[in-house]
Amino acid sequence: MSISPTIFIIPTGIGCEIGGFAGDALPAAKLLASASGCLITHPNVMNGGSLSERNKDIFYVEGYSLDRFAKGEIGLKSVKQQKIGIIFDSSIEHEILMRHLQAADACVATLGIDVDSYVLTKEPLGIVIESESQGISEGLIENPDTLIEAGERLIEKGITAIAIVAKFPDNTDLIETNSYREGKGVDPIAGVEAVISHLISKYLKVPCAHAPALSPIELNENLDPRAASEEIGYTFLPSVLIGLSNAPDLIELTDNNENITLHPIDIESIVVPGGALGGEGVLACIERGLNVISVKNKNILNLGNHNLNYPKLIEVDSYFEAAGLILALRQGINLKSIKRPLNKVQELNFNK
Amino acid sequence: MNLKKVDFYLDWPGSKNIIHLRRFITENLMNKGEVIRWSIEDIKDSVESLNIKKIRIKAVLANPVNSKI
Repeated sequence: MSISPTIFIIPTGIGCEIGGFAGDALPAAKLLASASGCLITHPNVMNGGSLSERNKDIFYVEGYSLDRFAKGEIGLKSVKQQKIGIIFDSSIEHEILMRHLQAADACVATLGIDVDSYVLTKEPLGIVIESESQGISEGLIENPDTLIEAGERLIEKGITAIAIVAKFPDNTDLIETNSYREGKGVDPIAGVEAVISHLISKYLKVPCAHAPALSPIELNENLDPRAASEEIGYTFLPSVLIGLSNAPDLIELTDNNENITLHPIDIESIVVPGGALGGEGVLACIERGLNVISVKNKNILNLGNHNLNYPKLIEVDSYFEAAGLILALRQGINLKSIKRPLNKVQELNFNK
Repeated sequence: MNLKKVDFYLDWPGSKNIIHLRRFITENLMNKGEVIRWSIEDIKDSVESLNIKKIRIKAVLANPVNSKI
């Protein structure tokens, strides 16, 4: 059976009911990967703190690069293993840094991942969180140059994929954080995380992903199961290292001397949460006339097809339904044949 | 390099095909700086003109050209 390459996006920091927490869209990703035979998705979907897993049918691509792939600017090349380097924000306290380094050593010892070396930034990254109450998670870093310089140092030494660990302020709004942990709010740090990884993708063009370094917080007995994977252990680094360990190489399509495993022209569909159609990846797929599968997945945005009127958008109620739809596309089954009522074949005449 | 958040509206002619929307937005953003991240926050009908949609864009730019953005 041929595959039906599908992009799967759950935007970071918009409070999606599925995928708005800690790797809680990973089961949906596995389902869609099984249906399509080839799923391209991003760290926000796959990273569950200490938990994640490799899947031969899933390409792990950071959001900025995923958008470039959707736009047709890069192709993806499968690799057996990436040589990973880690950038640590120099404002991380010694004990937390040691915990992260031990987590990296554990990934080498237990999972056989190639984590080669790390570098501390020359200056603190300077995280600034700016999320509005119950709004989209946003923020910036004050010293982007120090991040890029650290990444360049790793690449000079032969690193092929970069994990970034930034120190997040201890004074992050506790009410907002607990609201998120209890399954009620938006991940307050997700927006800044996206900026950090997008900077590495844009300027260094290598696979990358980010894990936040946070000081331990008090036990919350009302924890939502969707946020539970972030309560295991001291770091969120393992899921990033697992994802990056066999993330595909990013191949500029102007280069013609590399074997590309997956070319953007192979993509048939994109799966996104309903209401979240305003991202560049979705609009790039619309530009290319691909199927947009919009899944009911409650979030704080309301940009739907009532705004865009795209004729190849299909709305479904669940990821189960999306998987069935992708399977039908993969098998070349007319979607209308499975719905009722079923209209008769129409006669065309020569009058307008 | 410095980063800046921007939040602004663009006028989108309703007669244009939706397949041109991404390029319309990115061409506008690239005049303002190096684009790190953006998305459409909202689309509303213009009160001034029937054929215009007001598109609200939120973005993060590096090295913004105009500090008054």
